[in-house]
Amino acid sequence: MNKLRYIVLSGLGLGILFPFAFLAMLSFSGEWFFPEVLPGYFGLKNWKEVLTSESGMGISFASSLGISLLVATLGTGTGFIWSKSIAYHSQKETWLVLAYFPYMLSPVVLAACLNFFFLKSGLSGTWQGVVLGQYLVAFPYSVIFFQAFWNHRTRQFEQLVLTLGGSSRQAFVQVILPLAKGMILVCFFQTFLISWFEYGLTALVGVGKVQTLTVKVFLYIKEANFYYGAIACCLLVWPPVLLLYLNKRFVYNRLV
Amino acid sequence: MFLEIKQLSKSFQNDLIVDRLSLSLDQHRTLSILGKSGCGKTTLLKLIAGLETADQGSIRVNGEDMSGKTPAERKIVYLYQEDLLFPHLSVRGNIGFGLKLQKIPASDIKEQVDLMIQRLELQGQGDKMPHQLSGGQRQRVSFGRAIITNPRLLLLDEPFGSLDVGTRQRMQELFKELTALYGITSLFVTHDLKEAILMGDDIGLMKKGSLQVYPDKQDFLLDPGTGVRSEIEFWESLLKPNY
Repeated sequence: MNKLRYIVLSGLGLGILFPFAFLAMLSFSGEWFFPEVLPGYFGLKNWKEVLTSESGMGISFASSLGISLLVATLGTGTGFIWSKSIAYHSQKETWLVLAYFPYMLSPVVLAACLNFFFLKSGLSGTWQGVVLGQYLVAFPYSVIFFQAFWNHRTRQFEQLVLTLGGSSRQAFVQVILPLAKGMILVCFFQTFLISWFEYGLTALVGVGKVQTLTVKVFLYIKEANFYYGAIACCLLVWPPVLLLYLNKRFVYNRLV
Repeated sequence: MFLEIKQLSKSFQNDLIVDRLSLSLDQHRTLSILGKSGCGKTTLLKLIAGLETADQGSIRVNGEDMSGKTPAERKIVYLYQEDLLFPHLSVRGNIGFGLKLQKIPASDIKEQVDLMIQRLELQGQGDKMPHQLSGGQRQRVSFGRAIITNPRLLLLDEPFGSLDVGTRQRMQELFKELTALYGITSLFVTHDLKEAILMGDDIGLMKKGSLQVYPDKQDFLLDPGTGVRSEIEFWESLLKPNY
């Protein structure tokens, strides 16, 4: 029984890790033609070319990182504050239905609906436009995510601070933020991922001028340059995997 | 009178929760308020603490009108049934929290907190986090955190409701000791008949938003509406020989 369990778990582990390992291997490969079983070249050539040439991979990585950090920070920060107002509002249910609205459509359809406004405001093809577009998806997510935090007990904590002589600001800084720290970190991580892997909306609002890593991956795939595509994928996948590990190690385990 | 409440009313939508309630209380005394769930006890305390706004009526503490004052300005501490210890702070951090809000120097806070820990019989527990404490210890910390701020009035909303019988009894004794030591004026709300009699210098019965404060405990004991007599009859019936 134990042996069978070991085999099943090993199989599952391999199945999960294989795509990541294969991507990494592909990024170091070259001259791999059918029907060869192994690539003709295996080394650092692709990575050197990508990092030293004008492929723009470094800029794409920096753009993705910058945009995602900004979207996650803005989305989590404003979402946390607004979620409180919504949670305690008499029309809470109506506001929450509105918050779900962006998730009724795919991000591309949402972007297409809003494209006119992006064009009119001159935000189309700019990183600010991409940030705004992604924020419109991340913000409602954050608002919905924090609804669980603003419960009866949290309200009692706030009221207790007030009767102990504190101001609303002191209650927020000294009690609410420390209580919400774990959830804020998880939300930051989630909204970072929403932004990091976003393609359709970014491609539509960015009109090819804002080349995040996801846009770059699809560009290489369209060009059938799967070695570079694999490098872009590695750059796209490994940072979130690292973040996921850190999140699991330092945040999630402390929440449960 | 130290605390004077006149014709206080509060409705939520169309439900009248507190109905033209009046009461008065001398300084350094405790008024027990007995009442069933939903009779308006919690709302009354929240109105006094400034956490809810009254539809009409007035609240005066030491002659000062409380209307328009924020909860922080009132210096009235409201204690919930749950201890509500801040989970990110140690016992010391929790007890000294109110003093820290008042921006009292750290050395003074330490001194006062150490003294309070002694009085709460929590020596050696100061650096523990709330999840490492028992229910009774948590409730003591909660008390200490409120009393150390030297409130003008302490409002207790069934503070021992979640404790077992033994711990509850010890907490009741400790409460009496501390209120006497610090000269605390308090309103003690409970639905437990025995606790109401034990804890209050004065005693009142709340029903459907109205409060009746008894001139003395004897009147309370003799009033059939309080349930004291039926309680006594119940225990006496158990003691009667079975023919």
